[in-house]
Amino acid sequence: MKTPVFAFTLSMIMCVGAHAQLKWEQTTIELRPAPNDKQAVGHFKYQNNGKTPVHFKSIHASCGCTTAQTQKEEVPPGDKGEITATFNIGDRTGTQVKTVTVETDEAANQKTVLTLKAEIPQQLEITPNFVFWTKGDKADPKTINVKVGKDFTVKHIKVMSSTPDFQAKVGEAGNGQFKIDVKPQDTNKVVASMLTIQAEDSTKVFYATARITNAPTAPVAPAGLKPPVAPAGPTAPARPTAPTGQTH
Amino acid sequence: MKSSLVRQAAILAAVALLPAAGEAIYFRDKISWRFAIAPSEMVTVEQAREWGDTAIWVDARPDDEFANDHVPGAISLNEDRWNELLPQFLAAWSPGKKIIVYCSSLSCNASREVAHRLRKEAQLSDVFVLEGGWEAWVKKNR
Repeated sequence: MKTPVFAFTLSMIMCVGAHAQLKWEQTTIELRPAPNDKQAVGHFKYQNNGKTPVHFKSIHASCGCTTAQTQKEEVPPGDKGEITATFNIGDRTGTQVKTVTVETDEAANQKTVLTLKAEIPQQLEITPNFVFWTKGDKADPKTINVKVGKDFTVKHIKVMSSTPDFQAKVGEAGNGQFKIDVKPQDTNKVVASMLTIQAEDSTKVFYATARITNAPTAPVAPAGLKPPVAPAGPTAPARPTAPTGQTH
Repeated sequence: MKSSLVRQAAILAAVALLPAAGEAIYFRDKISWRFAIAPSEMVTVEQAREWGDTAIWVDARPDDEFANDHVPGAISLNEDRWNELLPQFLAAWSPGKKIIVYCSSLSCNASREVAHRLRKEAQLSDVFVLEGGWEAWVKKNR
């Protein structure tokens, strides 16, 4: 019976010994930025509960879209502070998880990972945002589905094509969903068009692309990966024309 | 004697479980948040090289890193300016082309996220993530 008791005591001592001097108020912050917010900012607060100063050796964000700053390089005993993590949202959507790794000169637990979770609200979810026909295909309409985000109410949407080469027709699909039928005028020339999609009474613009492409490129012998299914042919990409007055 | 051994083993296992559980709770927020990707959707620099002109390269790194240097012929497509850059990429894409997405290094996640969005939103197939990213490409080509 002595052996397990000893092992238990030892493990408990080791756990206590591994306690950090720098005590973080929280290592995970969840944010819900507003629809037009450009940034999401998290404040990770800490206190030095030890008896010696703690120095930050490095602060490293997991992606170029996130920056992290500390107020001070040295944290005296008893002192408080925070690390500010700023996540630049850009055109990201959905759940975003970014981390900041903080390294200190503490004897134990030198690295701490701070996690910033942001749920980016999306007014309209457009799938697919790209429809294409191969040159010479039958000019059948293709459907783009538009789903309204759970935090939004949208009764109508409007769609505009940047060129007359494609027609876009909006229909309601029920349950807060719409469908856009896109039809090319003809598929004998390589053209592209940008479709701007907007909810009624909203300034936020969403985009989809419609294209007539050349025949697929010739397949080559794959290196252990599945081969393309398309037959051989030349390529000549067409660039979609941006609609007048479009901004990003 | 046998039951005593079993009891002791059980006690030891339970004792070992305690710090393990403590660690699991303590490190619960320190797990990797990298986008899961199937091995079949990864490609090495050597494999990508064999694809030659039938592949289109996508640089998922931030604008400044792309401007600094990139794979010859690569198209910039990052999530900072996704709405603006995606149509430019789609203009260069054609059916049958494989898409190779890369970011800075082995540990970056941007290429996985861009690849995921190309599959999900644009519904493109044959989208691959370059193993080791830009760092691996430079090592093999410079």
